Amino acid sequence: MSAADVNQEHPLELESPRVSVKKPAARYDKQGDVPDAERVKRAMQNFVKDFGRTAAIYMESCIHCGMCADACHFYVTTENPKYTPIWKLEPFKQAYKREYGPFAWLYRTLNLKGKITVERLEEWQELIYDSCTVCGRCSLMCPMGIDIASLVSLARHGMAKSGLVPHELWAVAERAEKEGSPLGATPKVFKDRIEWLADDHEVEIPVDKEKADVMCTMSSIEIMKYPDSIVATARIMNHLGVDWTFRLDGYEATNFGLLSGNAEWQKDMSLKLINAAIACGAKTLVLPECGHAYGALRWSGANMYGKPLPFRVMHIAEFLAENTKSGKLKLKKLGKSVTFHDPCQIARRGGAIEAPRDVLAALGVELREMEPGKGLNWCCGGGGGVVTIHRADPIRYKVFQLKMNQIEETGAELPVTSCANCRQTFDDGQAHFKWDKKMNSLLEMVADNLEGKAA
Amino acid sequence: MPDSMKPRDAGDAHEATLGERLAARGVSRRAFLKFASALASMMALPPSMGLVMAQAMAQAKRPSVLWFPFQECTGCTESITRSHTPTIEGMIFDMISLDYHETLMAAAGHQSEAAREQAMKDNAGKYLLLVDGSVATGLDGAYSTIGGQTNLSWLTEAAKGAAAIIAVGTCASFGGIPKANPNPTGARAVSDVIKDKPIVNIPGCPPIPVVLTGVLAHFLTFGSLPELDALGRPKAFFGDTIHDRCYRRPFYDQGLFAKTFDDEGARNGWCLYELGCKGPVTYNACATVKWNAGTSFPIQSGHGCLGCSEPDFWDKGSFYKALPVGQWGSAATLGGAAAVGVAVGAAAAYAARRRQDKIAKGD
Amino acid sequence: MDLLTFARGPGLQWAVTIFVIGVLWKLVGVILLRAKPDLSEPRNPSTWKGLRLIITRSWPRKEFLRSTAFTEVLGYTFHIGFLVALLFYLPHILFFEDVFKGVLGVNFQQVFGVQWPYFSGGVINFFGAVTVAALIAVLIHRIVSPVKRLISNFDDYFSWFVTIAPVVTGMLAYGHVGAPYQTLIAVHLLSMELLLVWFPFGKLMHAFTVFLSRGTEGMQFERKGASL
Repeated sequence: MSAADVNQEHPLELESPRVSVKKPAARYDKQGDVPDAERVKRAMQNFVKDFGRTAAIYMESCIHCGMCADACHFYVTTENPKYTPIWKLEPFKQAYKREYGPFAWLYRTLNLKGKITVERLEEWQELIYDSCTVCGRCSLMCPMGIDIASLVSLARHGMAKSGLVPHELWAVAERAEKEGSPLGATPKVFKDRIEWLADDHEVEIPVDKEKADVMCTMSSIEIMKYPDSIVATARIMNHLGVDWTFRLDGYEATNFGLLSGNAEWQKDMSLKLINAAIACGAKTLVLPECGHAYGALRWSGANMYGKPLPFRVMHIAEFLAENTKSGKLKLKKLGKSVTFHDPCQIARRGGAIEAPRDVLAALGVELREMEPGKGLNWCCGGGGGVVTIHRADPIRYKVFQLKMNQIEETGAELPVTSCANCRQTFDDGQAHFKWDKKMNSLLEMVADNLEGKAA
Repeated sequence: MPDSMKPRDAGDAHEATLGERLAARGVSRRAFLKFASALASMMALPPSMGLVMAQAMAQAKRPSVLWFPFQECTGCTESITRSHTPTIEGMIFDMISLDYHETLMAAAGHQSEAAREQAMKDNAGKYLLLVDGSVATGLDGAYSTIGGQTNLSWLTEAAKGAAAIIAVGTCASFGGIPKANPNPTGARAVSDVIKDKPIVNIPGCPPIPVVLTGVLAHFLTFGSLPELDALGRPKAFFGDTIHDRCYRRPFYDQGLFAKTFDDEGARNGWCLYELGCKGPVTYNACATVKWNAGTSFPIQSGHGCLGCSEPDFWDKGSFYKALPVGQWGSAATLGGAAAVGVAVGAAAAYAARRRQDKIAKGD
Repeated sequence: MDLLTFARGPGLQWAVTIFVIGVLWKLVGVILLRAKPDLSEPRNPSTWKGLRLIITRSWPRKEFLRSTAFTEVLGYTFHIGFLVALLFYLPHILFFEDVFKGVLGVNFQQVFGVQWPYFSGGVINFFGAVTVAALIAVLIHRIVSPVKRLISNFDDYFSWFVTIAPVVTGMLAYGHVGAPYQTLIAVHLLSMELLLVWFPFGKLMHAFTVFLSRGTEGMQFERKGASL
């Protein structure tokens, strides 16, 4: 498929507060021309294909206590029991028992677990994709210690293999696989933008240096919607005097293979970054303000690559924190009250909880934590690919209200985050609710408050 | 009914009633009434029945009774004939015409067999058949014979003319020790062999004498057998467990147990549950009627109940193992089960891995 | 063979055998599945520390306290009640000590130097009553709560049944209510055997898998420094 075809088939909507493909006139939530029975078989088999001991242990441990419901923003805001996290896995639980569990042979011989129908899976598409941001709050609620979110990711593997991904998510994933970016930020577009931004902002932005200590990456959302982040990254890197570069063979950090559940594409996308970093001999790969990009490369990258990565993987906030703490990066005091929205994949599930707070401390702001905050902060509702799905807008707005209230309650002047996807979800919610609070980027805030000349 | 029963001694012009016989032996009417009342209360009959029983028994003529000894130890006879001398229960033998009892009768050899046959003939359809000992059924009953005839043939023959059968003791009631593993003689309970006659089981090794007295008194008074439980035992005597009526029960409820036979708990008379007492699962009247004219019973003397009146008591494990103990299997069976579980689990995991490989290849 | 003889003998042996086979089948069957090494660079080098989750997840994080209080309190009540009645009633202890000795060849007291403590029957009866009350409340909650009702299946209801049945029959046997003691104790034993037989096949397995799942989540999250 050429780029033109992609544009025709999945035209983008880049002017709205939330960037995605245009709302489809007719939805195609089933991909490929596959008989129903085959679809179901693929879903079930590919769900268990990537199973291991860990997932099996989780599958065996649920006691149906229902407590996870109270951790889920989709349930809490709707009180619809179908949004109970573990219920989202119901057909897959049956697949596990029939296809993979220790008693699979018994279940198959005695035909104990009813066969799943394609209608059931189509019904579950909404639960697996539209109403799960894989935020992982439920995993912290579960008294059995089941990482429910990780199971949803595995369920998506089955759904992707059987061609049951929501229209828009499939479309952006396909664009990403075909042309290198889910949102049209192809290498050419990226290069043009950089040139234009470098001119416009009078900042040096190195591209494709053959050797560099630090390789920076961007998310397509930033490239297309928040180009200031590119400038901010460059300013900070230059300010610190780092030997750094962008690489056109590996700049796009989002991974819609991961979000859609296409494990092959996920690997393709991760390997691009890894190979580019290896090519320029980078010691550090800095990930942009993007939540799932962190999970994809920081925690899954080496496993995609098949061996430990020969470089460090850091989120930009971690990179900034390291430099503020070492004293290399000095910032002007902002003197405002700020509340920090923890991106789920970076904080709760990624472990970089304190890094952004260290940076905020260096900015001299009054940090007002949300309640609940840090590792249990509520998700913005846009993660896991949900924000791309037009069908999910009504429920996404519902859960966004939770977030708005949380931020209002802090009374902080500025909401800040370090995830462009959260940011666009906030922008979209802000427009929808005509809210007076605008989400800010930690990265841009730092870039705007650099002090003095660093070495 | 006893009126219709043909007198044993055809020569007597007037066959004496039980009342007359007792009077002749110096037992006052008052004493007999007391006995009957006690019996009635023991059998959970209304108090007024004591008088009725006394009157009925006093008027009754003695039924013919045949007592067959099979695979037995004579302990039952010892218990019933000896223990109550000189109590009034001893007069049981005055209530009946005991026409055959090998141990007690003066006759021997052919004479005794002739007496048995005569009694069976004279009282056909009316005599009571008492059996102690189990019935050997192996090799057509050849394991136990009397005068060249098998116990089995005696029983089937005599049962035909019996009004009812009373199985005296655990062996006759449930097979007892002869039936215990490996049961070489094919020992059976009377009720396993005879299916078409009313049978009362009075189990116990030995049985409590007053139970037999009570059953006979009931038969004499009402012409019928007392109410029986599912195992054919008179409910009046076998309605409660030893544990239910045990005077040491409060210690059980408080959790006070003797741990050995010579510890503080044993000296304090605490519950013997841990020392293997089978009282909780044994139905009998020992704890209330007691033995040796109401003197004591095993638990009172410091030893747990053996459960001797229960079916298969000999095969239910050690007398000294506490009830919940000793039947879960062995380390070997558990080890075997564990090995099977591990093997099947490993096979299942292997199969699951192969399945994944196949799915991966199929793509 | 009467009911009690069956329940104390072959019934018990079969139940224990099925329990042992089934539990190991499931545990080994899960543990021997593929476990790919995680090649990512750990944030916290000593991931073993994550095993603390096995303990700490026994109570909810304070943020979840309010929404889970009801379920937690009921859960704790019947778990504690059940375990006290199971582990601190003398006839049960005699059974466990016998199994202990049968498997290890030594007496419990010899190994631990103390007698297994126990409560009197009345105290156990009280714990039994509390357990039954809590389990009934749990069932009502399962039926009334839309979330729990939706996610419940046969396993949930049957596991509930095999859990409450031994407690109820045990109390009936203790009080000699409703049937001859031998029948009551036989039914009590049979209900316990039903629990043993069902155990590996349903969610009762969480008694074992809870350690695996909490431990796994704990170690994986600790590796990332993720929120626990």
